[in-house]
Amino acid sequence: MSTELERQQPTEVSEDDLEVLLGDRALGRDDHLNAPGFVIRPDDVQDVLTDLRDEAGFDHLSCLTAQQYSDRYESIYHLKKYADPTQEVSVVVPTSTDDPVSQSAEPVFRTADWHEREAFDLVGIDYEGHPDPRRILLPETWQGHPLSEGYDQEKPQIVTLSEHANPIQPDHHDEESDTMFLNIGPHHPATHGVLHVKTVLDGETVVDVDPDIGYLHRCEEQMCQQGTYRHQIMPYPDRWDYVSAGLLNEWAYARTAEDLADIEVPEYAQIIRTMSAELCRIASHMLALGTFALDVYGDFTAVFQYAFRDREVVQDILEDLTGQRLMFNYFRLGGVAWDLPEPRDEFIAKTRDFLDELPAKVDEYNDMITSNEIFQIRCHNTGVLEPEEVKDYGCTGPVARGSGVDYDLRRDDPYGYYENLEWDVITEDGCDNYARVLVRMQEVEESAKIIEQCLDLLEDWPEDERDVQANVPRTLKPDADTEVYRAVEGAKGELGIYIRSDGTDKPGRFKIRSPCFSNLQALEAMSEGEYIPDLVASLGSLDIVLGEVDR
Amino acid sequence: MVGEGATLPLQTDTVLLPERVGELTGLDQFGVGGELLAAFLAAFIVGNIMLAMTGVAGPWAKRKITAAFTDRIAVNRLGPAGLLIIVADSVRLLSKELIIPEDADRPAYDLAPIVIASSALLGFAVIPMGSGIHLADPEVGLAFVFAVAGIASIGLVMAGYASANKYSMLGGLRAVAQNVAYEIPLVVTGMSVVIFAGTLQMSAIVEAQAQTLVSLGGLDIPAWYALVNPFAFVLFLVANFAEVGRNPFDTPEAPTEIVAGYQTEYSSVYFVLIYLGEFIHIFLGGAIIATIFLGGPAGPVLPGIVWFIIKIWAVFFLTQWLRSAIPRVRIDQLIEIGWKGLLVLSFANLVITAVIVGLIA
Amino acid sequence: MIGLLKSMATTMKHALDGSTFTVEYPETAPDVSPRFRGVHKFSQERCIWCRQCENVCPNDTIQIVMDDKRNGEQYNLNIGQCIYCRLCEEVCPVDAILLTQNFEFTGDTKHDLVYNKDQLRAVPWYKDIDPLESREPDRGAWIGEGDGDVDYQ
Repeated sequence: MSTELERQQPTEVSEDDLEVLLGDRALGRDDHLNAPGFVIRPDDVQDVLTDLRDEAGFDHLSCLTAQQYSDRYESIYHLKKYADPTQEVSVVVPTSTDDPVSQSAEPVFRTADWHEREAFDLVGIDYEGHPDPRRILLPETWQGHPLSEGYDQEKPQIVTLSEHANPIQPDHHDEESDTMFLNIGPHHPATHGVLHVKTVLDGETVVDVDPDIGYLHRCEEQMCQQGTYRHQIMPYPDRWDYVSAGLLNEWAYARTAEDLADIEVPEYAQIIRTMSAELCRIASHMLALGTFALDVYGDFTAVFQYAFRDREVVQDILEDLTGQRLMFNYFRLGGVAWDLPEPRDEFIAKTRDFLDELPAKVDEYNDMITSNEIFQIRCHNTGVLEPEEVKDYGCTGPVARGSGVDYDLRRDDPYGYYENLEWDVITEDGCDNYARVLVRMQEVEESAKIIEQCLDLLEDWPEDERDVQANVPRTLKPDADTEVYRAVEGAKGELGIYIRSDGTDKPGRFKIRSPCFSNLQALEAMSEGEYIPDLVASLGSLDIVLGEVDR
Repeated sequence: MVGEGATLPLQTDTVLLPERVGELTGLDQFGVGGELLAAFLAAFIVGNIMLAMTGVAGPWAKRKITAAFTDRIAVNRLGPAGLLIIVADSVRLLSKELIIPEDADRPAYDLAPIVIASSALLGFAVIPMGSGIHLADPEVGLAFVFAVAGIASIGLVMAGYASANKYSMLGGLRAVAQNVAYEIPLVVTGMSVVIFAGTLQMSAIVEAQAQTLVSLGGLDIPAWYALVNPFAFVLFLVANFAEVGRNPFDTPEAPTEIVAGYQTEYSSVYFVLIYLGEFIHIFLGGAIIATIFLGGPAGPVLPGIVWFIIKIWAVFFLTQWLRSAIPRVRIDQLIEIGWKGLLVLSFANLVITAVIVGLIA
Repeated sequence: MIGLLKSMATTMKHALDGSTFTVEYPETAPDVSPRFRGVHKFSQERCIWCRQCENVCPNDTIQIVMDDKRNGEQYNLNIGQCIYCRLCEEVCPVDAILLTQNFEFTGDTKHDLVYNKDQLRAVPWYKDIDPLESREPDRGAWIGEGDGDVDYQ
């Protein structure tokens, strides 16, 4: 499947072609820094998105941003191509303030389901034809929409369930039913945090899953809207995906804000960024591997501990470099905070030692996990996610690559120093839990390759060109109404950020496209019809971090 | 098709522990009542040895063994090598609040822990532990052990059903499905030993293994059934792990899937009882394996009881080793392995053993 | 079956080599990197009360109270709320606030974690390491001159 995708040379679609394709449906243009934007009528959404997907090849609904202006609501569908993510288009759907109803995109892209629910929840746009128009992050009983204008924070926001409940709502409880409803979580050993999966079981077989998220919602988007571009936002990305993928998240913000404010990053800083980000990826994949083993093995036993032992080494290196083990706050707009620690040789030697020991450790994992027959029968053909489903659900990262979708922003939409280095994108065609494990394990090796090359470069870099930071103004005030959506390849997949500036030193709208959020949505496709242990394993192989799902 | 009389060992004349206790304390002079008292005393001694080994040393050893496999240090603060953690743990567990779910089906809920723990302890009654520690030696010893160990599944389903918790329910159902699937291969494989020994009596089975299998350079290899029929030994080992619910067959508990299975809703003393029961079951499994496959208490130099305990702990160590190294199988795969794999193999083993024994005898 | 045995052999190898990767804290104190960011240390002698740290703090952890003549009176820092991003140290023109490597601090209530300037002054260096030295080579890089006005209020 991956080969087929690789061969399929994406057809370049120019803006004129798009204008012709959309014809009268495009009411106007609202271009973003990253992509042309077309304004359409709220009842044309499905029509336009279908055409863009089928005719122009925009098969990846990366993100949906909703926001309210003083005179209108706006939903922005950020579309990309799996084959070439540099081709982007934004579909802007304004709706009136009095009656914010827009057509749902769910029939075209399955992933729009959760994204539209979130838009309804936080901003208050209604999506007509949405199959399941409920709140998603906030409790069912929440009053009002926190990111809408005029939301009164002082007002009581929660009413009791008894006040909220609708007594005439039909109750679907079926006396004759043979199924059993089971709440998995929010406190369950295998949910990797506070995730609540409403499950319907027929015996041990999973008939229906409905993940209930939002327990860890910390208003990250709003917090970023209240921070200044220059300093105050950067510490927060560390806290989205908080299990050692911090630098990858910081890069997402750095990339977006640097595009927005037009900041050049010195080459030397880019190499440091690339190296440290890949260290984070290793740490993150080690954790994913360890916890997946925990889900399958059932106890905090050997594989988990070995993975943590190895991750510990990475953490030490990152601590030497950044000064913190998880909440790095190391990137700055225009570079990084610090050069490599002194003595530089020692740091480089320490990192090299780790890389040298890595192959032996990977062999050990192979002995322990991938070659273990019981592990194989547990993981082969469970949690199957077909490539079509991957695209429909907007899955990215190792989840997509485990299903043979050859999509990696580091290569396809290059940033940092990646394009100058020798490395491969790993794909597996298994589409199952086993393939995802293999992808992660091989990506660890690829990351090691990248780090190795970065270290060589850093070692020999001319002494007087070691600029770790560009000269960036103390206060950044991008022009009002500049909009940009940029994504990087995080540990879990495509981590995108949309920023709209409003002329001040703080963003007007800050939207996070979390890879875990989209990936988790695919859980239903992976686990329905399989057994509870497979559900747990599938959840583990998605490698979600609830901090990033709920933001 | 039971073995020929020729190989049947004669009734042994070993003195059982209750009789000896009776003699030592002089209780045997008081007729039936005295004998009863002596039997109680003897059972008390054996019960305490088993409890000390399982409930007390078991959890500590489990921590230490797992830590060794996973490159950790584990308990080492309280007392030498952290041994006093056992005391601390007991105080902690026993002083916890006993929380009973509102909808629990009592008294089933209260009885289940007792059934689980006592059924395992009962099994030790007929196990010859060497050095004269042997409570009873009925002619149907082996059948008795399997019978009482099987009672535990009733305890599990009681615990699962009575807790009024869906996870417990799933755990209880899994436990029953698993026990039914693996009890048969277990017993059938045990029967192949009976064919060799020609008796169900435990002491006689042990004695039959005392013969010499081969002599290698003056070293007598005893005819332990693990050496005589290694195939049956492996089958029995696997079936036993499934029967006591240990990795890779720990699906009834499966912490990452169904929280803790049937014991989810148990706390404090009840939890201790269930936990103990599980450990005693592992040790009982070890004792059965030691008795019918590893020559019971037989062994050079050291006294019988020491060899017996070493063998039991070897089996326990193996369970912990597997726990560290091997993933859990899924419930449907587990049942499949049981019915389609082990059952067939165990019957094949039985038939082949019977044919071979019949030909030789 | 081979795979199973491999798994078992690997774990046994680890059991037999006897090495452990966990340590006995606090007997074996962990090595903390020179750059590690722990509890703050504040020096009133150096402080020029420019309030830049208060302004830059992402979550209002630092509270400065001044009298009407703009003399500093209080410098409060909630080390329980702090996210240890080190921005305060980064913007401080006179090194009045520093993050030590000290990560060992407790409080019985969350109010105990609100440190005033005297408590902040009394924060000990971790293993007597002054973090300024370790950061010295790079200071020029991260302070940066930048364009635009410095806001000293």
